[in-house]
Amino acid sequence: MHMKSGALKVIAHKEILDHVRSRKFLLIFGIFLIISMAGLVGGLIEYQEQLDSYNDRLSVVSEDEMSYAPYWKPSLLTIFYQISMLVISLGGALGIAMGFDLITKEKESKSLKILLSNPIYRDEVINGKALGAIGALLIALGIVAIISLAIMLIFGIVPDADQFGRMLIFGAAAFLMIFSYFAISLFMSTISSDSGNALIYSLIILIFLSTLLPVFAYGPVMNLVAGVPPEPPESLMKENMELVISTSGTIVSSEDGSGEYVEYIDPNQEEWDKFSEKSQAYWEKRQAISDTIGLISPSGNFQKITMEVITSASVMPMYMDEEFEKDTSLGGILSDLLQNIIALLVIPAIFFGAAYVRFMRLDIR
Amino acid sequence: MIEFDQLTKEYNGIMAVDDLCLEIPDGEVFGLLGPNGSGKSTTILMLIGLIEPTEGRCLIDGVEVAKNPIEVKQRIGYMPEDVGFYGTLTADQNLDFFARLHGMAKTDREERINELLALVGLEDVEKKVGGYSKGMRQRLGIANALINDPAIVILDEPTANLDPQGVADYRRIIKEIAEQGKTVLVSSHILSEVSRVCTSIGILSQGRLVATGRWEDLARIPEGSTSGEIRINVRTREAMPEFSNPEIISVEYKDDRREACILSHSDIRDYISDTVQNAGTGIRELSLDRDSLEDFILSYYQEP
Repeated sequence: MHMKSGALKVIAHKEILDHVRSRKFLLIFGIFLIISMAGLVGGLIEYQEQLDSYNDRLSVVSEDEMSYAPYWKPSLLTIFYQISMLVISLGGALGIAMGFDLITKEKESKSLKILLSNPIYRDEVINGKALGAIGALLIALGIVAIISLAIMLIFGIVPDADQFGRMLIFGAAAFLMIFSYFAISLFMSTISSDSGNALIYSLIILIFLSTLLPVFAYGPVMNLVAGVPPEPPESLMKENMELVISTSGTIVSSEDGSGEYVEYIDPNQEEWDKFSEKSQAYWEKRQAISDTIGLISPSGNFQKITMEVITSASVMPMYMDEEFEKDTSLGGILSDLLQNIIALLVIPAIFFGAAYVRFMRLDIR
Repeated sequence: MIEFDQLTKEYNGIMAVDDLCLEIPDGEVFGLLGPNGSGKSTTILMLIGLIEPTEGRCLIDGVEVAKNPIEVKQRIGYMPEDVGFYGTLTADQNLDFFARLHGMAKTDREERINELLALVGLEDVEKKVGGYSKGMRQRLGIANALINDPAIVILDEPTANLDPQGVADYRRIIKEIAEQGKTVLVSSHILSEVSRVCTSIGILSQGRLVATGRWEDLARIPEGSTSGEIRINVRTREAMPEFSNPEIISVEYKDDRREACILSHSDIRDYISDTVQNAGTGIRELSLDRDSLEDFILSYYQEP
């Protein structure tokens, strides 16, 4: 191991300043900030209305036990729904804007030779660039978080510990998704001859991962891997048709004239069960393949994490069948989302690793 | 001392630098001459550790570049041919960044940056480097090469984009650096530039070192070949004295011996000057025909 020359800090500091002064960063971040804050305010107003309505209905329930109670208590987290959609569309663009020209610009401006002629190691340059991006991204997300909290406080909403934890998960997932696209574009910057090409390659990957991959995942690729769905046996289909004709409306249960229930007993129940089992296995397999393919996409992982974090925060107080109950605590959610979280860590690690190796071997001419 | 030990670089079967062996002593202003594509820049890039040699090694003060790049880079200052900086920063911000990479303290940085910007004539320029002309960037490149007060200064085609004033400033700066006892390695394809500032030269052709030595030794023309042409004009009506020097090939007198064209094996302007002045005759003009000398140096080149 070689001794570090201490240049990492200097380079990271310069990179942070470069990012936060960069027009493209400020433009995308500015648009993101304005739209997300507008969405947040809109979401908060809607949340307040839903909460008032919920409280009104609760007060009616307490007065009159026979009236219907509301099913869902509105969740504060739903105000982040719009921001999550924005992160998916603009966050990817922000990550790419931050990374696509980090190396090509140094080559184009001829500053790379001078930079590397200084007493620094090459890995300090690429690591410093990554740290700079992380710093700039944390500043940007920190600003969004502070303004969001400030707006919530203005509306008189103070998140509890659970909600705060979910917001942190939301923020961390947003950071990892944007950083994933940053790492992808940084890699493109190390393999491309110029910034134009690096941008095009990065955008192609962004479009593929965020838009085309789900189409492929549910379309041709899925059919290729999972095959076609199982069809019920012909004998069952024929029988079914006859049953429908002869005992229409009484297949499962029906009420006769005398008010008694007559249940139809299917003689082919076993075959039905087999088909049902096969069908369920097929759809489960399909879902598993879809989930696995979806892990490749940072946008998909972010979407899954945020949706889970937002929707599971809604409380269903009554009439809930125990069968459908699931662990909606933070720990339970994190456990369910483990593979998506790992994927969001692995994707940037792979691309950053590739960018690192490529940069270390770059011939500077 | 700079040493190139059997240095070789091959790109896809093409020898960019071929078995280069050369030593440049401390305090020397050394010119690496050669036509475009002769391997000068590749040699320099291997010297500063930006390109790995295919074979051989470079050493600076006995330290091998490939093994101890940081130690070597602390001793050198470098200006590339196509010098570039961060366009969104000003000159002093750029220099400050590079000075920080050298681990310089803030007060030292400020002092050094002001000193260097004054040296290269950029002290009053406030605009960002993105708005600089090529010549201004070249000046800033020279300042940057000196930021860490290096013992060895390496300049790749330093006058390529300079205007006449810039070239004059560059010569002054090189002279000042040389007077401080620093070693300077200048790469250029412009013979006149090298001949003005360098004490010794090496000529590269197709990656091979075809000639090296002190300037006056290299300028010595092989026996029987054409020489440089020295022209002399005298001020008075008196005739020019006879010249007798073994280096002289021929003397042609004109205008009643008030003008002479002397072909010689080497640059004997000092001898001519002394001889004419000892004869009590004032010199109006004494010049060496640079084109002839350039032709002579070019005879070393083997153009592809």
